[in-house]
Amino acid sequence: MSNLAIITDLNRCTGCLACTVACKAINGVDVGNFWIKTLRVGPHPTEGGSGTFPDVEMYFLPVQCQHCENPECVKVCPTEASHVAEDGTIQIDKDKCIGCQFCALACPYGVRYLNQTERVVEKCTLCEQRTVQGELPQCVAQCGARARFFGDLDNGVENFEAPAHPDSPGCGYDEMTQTRVKLKDYVEAFTENDIHHLTNKGNNPKLMYLLREGRKWRE
Amino acid sequence: MEIQWPLILFTFFNCLAGGIFLVQGILTLAGKGKQMQLASCVSAIVALAVGGLAVFFHLQHPLRMLNGFGHLSSGITIELIFVIVFAIAVVLYFLMMRRSEEGVAPKWCAVVAIVVSLVLPFVTGESYLMAAIPVWNTMLLPIYYVVATFMLGGFAAMIIAAVTKCEDAVKLASTVAFIGTVVTAIVTIVYAVAISGMGSEYTEMEYYFDPTLPDVAMRQAEAVTAAIMTGEHAMAFWLGAVVIGCAVPAVLSGLVMVGKISADKALVVAIVAIVCAIIGTIVWRVLLYEVAVNALIQFQWAME
Repeated sequence: MSNLAIITDLNRCTGCLACTVACKAINGVDVGNFWIKTLRVGPHPTEGGSGTFPDVEMYFLPVQCQHCENPECVKVCPTEASHVAEDGTIQIDKDKCIGCQFCALACPYGVRYLNQTERVVEKCTLCEQRTVQGELPQCVAQCGARARFFGDLDNGVENFEAPAHPDSPGCGYDEMTQTRVKLKDYVEAFTENDIHHLTNKGNNPKLMYLLREGRKWRE
Repeated sequence: MEIQWPLILFTFFNCLAGGIFLVQGILTLAGKGKQMQLASCVSAIVALAVGGLAVFFHLQHPLRMLNGFGHLSSGITIELIFVIVFAIAVVLYFLMMRRSEEGVAPKWCAVVAIVVSLVLPFVTGESYLMAAIPVWNTMLLPIYYVVATFMLGGFAAMIIAAVTKCEDAVKLASTVAFIGTVVTAIVTIVYAVAISGMGSEYTEMEYYFDPTLPDVAMRQAEAVTAAIMTGEHAMAFWLGAVVIGCAVPAVLSGLVMVGKISADKALVVAIVAIVCAIIGTIVWRVLLYEVAVNALIQFQWAME
């Protein structure tokens, strides 16, 4: 059993929406639905500043299924369609989903959508179809700022991986897609205190956000 | 998510079915309501069936329940179990009534009727308790469903008693209706006050922007939680849920209870009162949806 998750370095995220678009393209997400959406949080006046520009701060926040340790969506599902998979992610068995949408109500982050065509609830699968064959989730692979890193929490967040800088690998598909950099080697130094989670209501969200001292995490 | 009318109707009909059977149980225990037993059983089952039909319009693939229904941590599973238990209890009551030489179901059947009729609305409300939706995540929700069951059951029993000419039941039914309506009014107002103080349960992001909903205004939690008593829903709440939904039915049932309105006019009065009570309880249920689905715990954006 593994414990797959994503960490996003918000000091690096430029809000380019590449993750949002890449996810929709590869997963065929319906118009109006978003398995990951990028919010802009702020601008807020910086503490101790003049209260106006340039003393302001902001960050972008990609929000998707947080693949919680103690997921509310799984608890309320009457048919166990929503379940914790072997790899620690939360998945939906579409053959079992009756479309009651209680999971969408119970999710604190509003990341579950009813697929109007198939009439089942869908959400981020952490690109299960890609990760089982050793690839990165598409939102990580396509991140324009190399701000997103994917990995197994059991191996430590510092070992989470992103695609290597384009200068390093050659142009072959395999080499391009399989050459990786590790979080600890690539991003600016951070401490445990810089790692944040979305509001936790006992569901223990696993996805992480890195926002270093100097910019205030809003919650 | 928009307001789910099938679920609003489902919870309403569960309360109505429970109420009809509840008051029949109370009447039987008090040695009254003999002529209306069959009508009560049939009405309760019909209300339960209509509620069940309503929920089918909400479920996208109801037949897939056969693929694995029964996850016991799910409120929906518990709800379905008690819907079935309720139906069995009604059938049992009916069979025991037919078997009895006096034509009245035994007292233990009446006790069973009262218990299942209170448990059904309670578990219906309990299934909506979710940490992600603070305005629902309070015991006031199942308590409201239970007291509304008394109110609706009282008025429905007044109608059934009048139609079946079961005169000995009118006074007790109107008493249940009166007490149920007064308590419903109290619980509704207490719940509304509680909601108005729930702003702190939400995580405030202050300024944020969601590019997928560019034309939706940023919301602050207080604006959502204050909407019922003093905000955009105040008119619907005070006029619909409190005055029409509780005050009018309480006065009407009170007049019947004290004998100011004669038993022969009870039918018309009960019909007017139940229509008002239905308006009130539906308005309140819609408002509970409005304030719930318009605010997530962390991002106070309006959900589509």
